[in-house]
Amino acid sequence: MSTAFVYRATASPQEAAVWTRRQIVMTDLRTIVGRAYPRVRGMAREKSWVFFEVLLPFLATSAFVFVYRALQAPPEYIGFVVLGGAMTAFWLNVIWMMAQQLWWEKSQGNLELYFAAPMNIMSVLFGMAFGGFIMASTRAAAVLVVATVVYQVAFAIDQWVLLLAVFFLTLAALYGLGMVLASLFLMWGREAWHLTQLLVEPVYFVSGLNFPVARLGMLGSLAIAILPLAVGLDAMRQLAFADAAYPLGTPGPAVEALILVAMTVVFTLLARWTLRTLERRARQEGRLSVRWQ
Amino acid sequence: MSGFEATRPIPGTGSTGPGTGLAPPEWGGFDPARTRGRAGDVLRSFKTSTRLGWQMEANWTDPLLFFIYSVAKPVSSALILVFMLGVIGGGGNPEYRAFVVIGSALWSFVLSGISGLAWSVLDDRERYRMLKYVYVSPSDFLIVLLGRGVARVAVGGMGALITLGVGVAVLGVPFDIGAVNWPLFAIVMILGLVSIIAIGVMLAAICLQTRQESWSYPEAVGGSLFLVSGAIFPILVLPSVVQAIGMLTPLSWWIEGVRQSLFPGGISSIGGTGSLFETLTGEAVPNPAQIVLALLAAGTVTTLLSIAVFRASDRRAKDRGLLDQTTGS
Repeated sequence: MSTAFVYRATASPQEAAVWTRRQIVMTDLRTIVGRAYPRVRGMAREKSWVFFEVLLPFLATSAFVFVYRALQAPPEYIGFVVLGGAMTAFWLNVIWMMAQQLWWEKSQGNLELYFAAPMNIMSVLFGMAFGGFIMASTRAAAVLVVATVVYQVAFAIDQWVLLLAVFFLTLAALYGLGMVLASLFLMWGREAWHLTQLLVEPVYFVSGLNFPVARLGMLGSLAIAILPLAVGLDAMRQLAFADAAYPLGTPGPAVEALILVAMTVVFTLLARWTLRTLERRARQEGRLSVRWQ
Repeated sequence: MSGFEATRPIPGTGSTGPGTGLAPPEWGGFDPARTRGRAGDVLRSFKTSTRLGWQMEANWTDPLLFFIYSVAKPVSSALILVFMLGVIGGGGNPEYRAFVVIGSALWSFVLSGISGLAWSVLDDRERYRMLKYVYVSPSDFLIVLLGRGVARVAVGGMGALITLGVGVAVLGVPFDIGAVNWPLFAIVMILGLVSIIAIGVMLAAICLQTRQESWSYPEAVGGSLFLVSGAIFPILVLPSVVQAIGMLTPLSWWIEGVRQSLFPGGISSIGGTGSLFETLTGEAVPNPAQIVLALLAAGTVTTLLSIAVFRASDRRAKDRGLLDQTTGS
């Protein structure tokens, strides 16, 4: 055990409740690790995910590859689909295992334990995000590698550093959005579940999952302004297929990277604010422990 | 005296067997006949679970939002494909546009059908924690699941219908109601629906064995069947082995049947020059009789297989105590 948590005699319960800065930081770090642990460890315990979350999504991505093949599309469009297919792993993880998670915990009776524990609830969200990122990365990497080999996708990358930066910024913004949604779903009942489903295909469409988002005109511009998946994918496509005739109409990758930075900051702060506000409201309305509504 | 004899009134005693009430048999033993439901009981279970499923699907919001929710998914799926065509320049071909809109609309029906049953298992086990109580109730578990799944099939059907409507009204899909082959449409819809539900039963059986994260499994399975069923592109672009797999699934024949019945003379998803179907039969496009026969055969095999898988999963779940397991991460 870390010395931060060693028992110390105190004169009163009030004094015992006053934690040092180190104790607070250590507790929050432990919370992050503790919340990420079941997601990472669970991958080794239940193997069915390899089939259902790696092989089958690869086949789904393949379906869109064959649409372009049937249309005799230029080869870079197959690359666009493969990149989009890999990124769906993160989006699905964000909506199913971030946005819905606090509502899930409420349904399972764990949420009140989270709030009663001496930790910052934001640490729980960070832990969920970290564990979810590890889970989704395996699926995304598998789809990307297998599809690249099978469909002979030829990447043309000039700016590796910017590409990696955009990728990680996209994930940061995505999981930031996930934290905001998780806070919002704290207030909701069954509508949270249904609205999660509404965030799949419509978001795929407005994000230009299988085609350049610039083709959507104003709708695409709006998506780039508010959806990390749209702006991240667009930037990554521009960087990963630098030699392709990419449709005009969206900002360059450097500008899109800045948009992602802004999104990350805004979503993280917004998550912190919504979590506090909605937690207070949920307490006032007695919704924290309402289950199965 | 056996338990079977005790179900009838006992002559000369003035008392009746358990068939007339909840009292135990006269001889005091276990009467197995009381554990078997009659057709009326099965129907009542089905109707009740269907009503429950519909309430769960529909009463979480007002009708307008529910309507938007029901059509947003399938319409978005169709729009993704229409934009893909537009990007490459294939959008100008109304036949191909009709092809992808129909396939996409029908696929929302498939996804609803196969996810409804699987999600019923996960809902009741992981969220409401009622699966064990439902299981030990006098209703047949499979009948309850089917009833719950029907509601989602209805939602999916509505989404498919509206997607087709949007396709015809907004996306320029050519449709002539006078040219529709209604008998073929009716037959393939019935056979297709049974097949979709059979696949849903199989997936529910799998979800009975797996963990909470199985919520995304129906979509994953649907996505993989999407590849081989000719929903959004003719399967002749696939390697022969994969075409053969596609021809073994009832969904391929169902989609082909619906396409041929609603849009006669359109692009075939199974046939075509150089397709495996042409190699095997010598004909370029399957005719309605071939479609119905193939759908019937593939659907029968799928249904029998799904029942076997469900029964095996049911036994294993009881054996391993999975019915009341919660597996959150």
